[in-house]
Amino acid sequence: MPKTYVGMWLSLFFLAGLGTSAAQEEPGFPFSWSRFTLNNGLEVILSEDDTLPLVSVVLAYQAGSIYEQPGKTGLAFLLENMMFMGSLNVGPMQHIGYVSRVGGEPNASTTEDITYFYQTVPANQLALVLWLESDRMKSLEIDPANAERAKQSLLDEISQRKAAEPYLDSLLAFDQLLYPDFAHGHSILGREEDILGLEVEDVRAFYATYYVPNNTALVVVGNIDLARTRELVEKYFETIPPGRKAPLFLPPRPPDKREVVQAFQDSLAPSSAFHLGFRIAAPYSRDYYVLAILDYLLFKGKSARLYRKLVKKEGLALYIAGGIEKRKDVAVMKIFAVNNNQTMVELCQKSIASEFSKLRTSDVSSEELAKAKSLFKRDYVNRIATPLERAMFLAEMVFSPVGLNALPDQLPKYMRITPYEVRMAAGRYLIPESSVILNVKMK
Amino acid sequence: MKKVSWFCIWALLSLGSALAQQERFRKSPPIPDPLPRLELPKIESMRLMNGLTLAVASRPDQPFISLELVILAGESQSPKRLPGLASFTAEMLSRGTPLVSASTLEERIDAIGGDFSTTTTPDFSRFSLHFLDGFLDQALEMLSLMVLQPDFSDREIVALKRTQFYDLRQRQRDPEFVGRRQLLRVLFKEHPYRQSFYSEDVIKNLTRKDVQAFYELYYRPNNALIVLAGNLDLAIAARRVSHFLNIWPKKDMERPLLPSPQANAEDRFCFVDLPQAKEATLVIGNLIFPLAEPDYFPLAVLNQVLGGTPFSRLFMNLREAREYAYSAFSRLELFRSCGYYAITAAVIPSASSASIREILRELDRITRDKVSNFELEQAKSYLIGHFPLRIGRLDELGRSISELLAFSLGDAMWSRFNDNITLVDADRIFEVAQRYLLRKPVVVIVGDKDVLLDYLRDLDRLEVYDLKGVLLYTLIKGVEG
Repeated sequence: MPKTYVGMWLSLFFLAGLGTSAAQEEPGFPFSWSRFTLNNGLEVILSEDDTLPLVSVVLAYQAGSIYEQPGKTGLAFLLENMMFMGSLNVGPMQHIGYVSRVGGEPNASTTEDITYFYQTVPANQLALVLWLESDRMKSLEIDPANAERAKQSLLDEISQRKAAEPYLDSLLAFDQLLYPDFAHGHSILGREEDILGLEVEDVRAFYATYYVPNNTALVVVGNIDLARTRELVEKYFETIPPGRKAPLFLPPRPPDKREVVQAFQDSLAPSSAFHLGFRIAAPYSRDYYVLAILDYLLFKGKSARLYRKLVKKEGLALYIAGGIEKRKDVAVMKIFAVNNNQTMVELCQKSIASEFSKLRTSDVSSEELAKAKSLFKRDYVNRIATPLERAMFLAEMVFSPVGLNALPDQLPKYMRITPYEVRMAAGRYLIPESSVILNVKMK
Repeated sequence: MKKVSWFCIWALLSLGSALAQQERFRKSPPIPDPLPRLELPKIESMRLMNGLTLAVASRPDQPFISLELVILAGESQSPKRLPGLASFTAEMLSRGTPLVSASTLEERIDAIGGDFSTTTTPDFSRFSLHFLDGFLDQALEMLSLMVLQPDFSDREIVALKRTQFYDLRQRQRDPEFVGRRQLLRVLFKEHPYRQSFYSEDVIKNLTRKDVQAFYELYYRPNNALIVLAGNLDLAIAARRVSHFLNIWPKKDMERPLLPSPQANAEDRFCFVDLPQAKEATLVIGNLIFPLAEPDYFPLAVLNQVLGGTPFSRLFMNLREAREYAYSAFSRLELFRSCGYYAITAAVIPSASSASIREILRELDRITRDKVSNFELEQAKSYLIGHFPLRIGRLDELGRSISELLAFSLGDAMWSRFNDNITLVDADRIFEVAQRYLLRKPVVVIVGDKDVLLDYLRDLDRLEVYDLKGVLLYTLIKGVEG
């Protein structure tokens, strides 16, 4: 037996008892999953769906922008791009090539807390995807030339987006005001001066810290055989060494309760506008569920309350959008409105304040609440409609504070919200002392 | 176990493999398992008393129902003086009845967790309503209100004109949209399909009377079909649809097949000015054949080889090898009486001329040399592997079925799709390349004329158009002639 295998065999023998496994069958929940942890700490979730001969594979690394240090912003997004630039056995861009050639669809996305790599392929190509994903988890090629290319591509993207999205700069400034600290408030895109200063060693350090099995979940959903899939997962991932434990992420200190109002000059803004935000209850806390339904009542659907009032009825806004946004352990409610002029900005803000005052003092009708819940339910069940969506959903939930075990009770929790709870939550959070306003003025 | 440092345990126990080489299986991609059989949902259909075709694809596991109503009248049925009428009429349907306002309809759609949208193509108008399971009656009631009692109020007509005008203006900022529209204007010249590719200024010409007349003529059950997909069967669907739509009166009508126009056969280079566009966008194409032709399958494989993915010839040549382009792809789009192929590339302005030459060279090459076995198998593997992804979502499934039925495509494009692709060989591809790609394509270039025209001076003849499709002037070797 060659040395390689002796060492590995010994390791596996001793560690065999350390892996954990659990199967989940919840009555009333539309699908089941099984979960186990490899000896190197990789969380694995498998779920069968034989509707079509497809399989979706998601790798979720807890490696979003929230883990970047001041002066090193842009690293998370940069690494997402570099994961396609080749690893020990897979050439540059060949990951996309292998997946596309069999009819699959590869993609990736970086959020504030998680970076996702995902693909759907014909079910018989599962091993191919596990081979590809394990290679870049184990042996990504990070050299100065690759890093420079990725930096340039990121800088190009920032410059293109800033030229094309007139309110982007103001939004980034608004996030810094609304979120309580640097970790939560800075942009995934990164600051141009930080990106220019990134060294290849910074990239290697970020990869070595966060792109490790014990910081990652692997989710496989589709037309699979559970035993065979587990065998393949173990084959490709079990021997990847774990990393050191990622640095402790400390929750932010709650910000002072005071209203913040500032102005922002935007040379690209075609019209006056404003961002309005509220610091709300932490994700998955009791009030968070209530505010999530209130989000749908205010902003979602063609008959949403604020759109109806401000755009269609009063004509105070040309455009309005909003909703809850969560970044790991912090949640906010954001509103963005475009208005004809500064007078309209002021009137629009007064009108929103009066609407929120109504929410704090009287119950919403049961019909309006039922409508908001229907829309919420639509989007919620849409998130588990296809193997890929289901895999992404499981990947997000496995790292959420409630975890996968709480999943079957999540939708019922939202559906049980009452008008009284909406009034109470509005009274606690949609108040001037929790608000931040950034008025966007044309230059 | 989570509290134990994985790293420490691993470091301790992995000493034996400290000097390990990588495992052999990591060095090359694994051999795929056998592909599980694709079981497509069974499509059951029937015709109701008033001539309405109803089809159902049962998917009991789904928490949604997808409803597609297709009216077999699209933009090619708009009168020549009123392009855009079909699309405008379709949009007006959800804008209220004499008794139920547009706002109330919106609220009712939201209340069933619904998503409603309309699409108008040259051949048909489609209404898609995707909603939570359990609300079938409410959805059908709303649909019947829209279809049987549309109000077409002057107030809503004015509001829709404003919305469509600004939407179209907004879309015209997209160079690919502008280029494709110009290509199809040139290719379809006098053909009724030309009606689909209008500019925003024509919307102001539409009146309530026009909308009402179009509705009266074409919105008939015997000129329509409904597809339902989700947790239901044909018997339930037939009862519920009949209950709400049996009073929809039919009317005799003919649906003649439009003649196929002639493909372009001479050099045509067209330029559309899009001020401040940073790139040059090329859209190059020609007419092919209508839907339901057996040539579709070899041409679909050819399209993959030529420009279907980032690993096809066009992308590899223009972007990877020559670094002229940000992207370069080809596509096929087939309508009832005719189809077209189009190659679209976003290129750096200074490489416009060279990019056009390369694209034409790639078209020429595929008509002269047979594709390699490697390319052939790769393209077929993509098309077969990708097919189920196109129907993964319930709304995508409903839409695919509605198109199968609207165009009477039958099993060739459904349960026999993979077999038909498997049968394609290099000879068949060569044959269709000879048949369809030898004719000279129309070349459209979209970009900022102050930047681009200098780079296009070597073209013998360049027609310069405005966004409305009006020919402004012609340049002969860069000089106005």
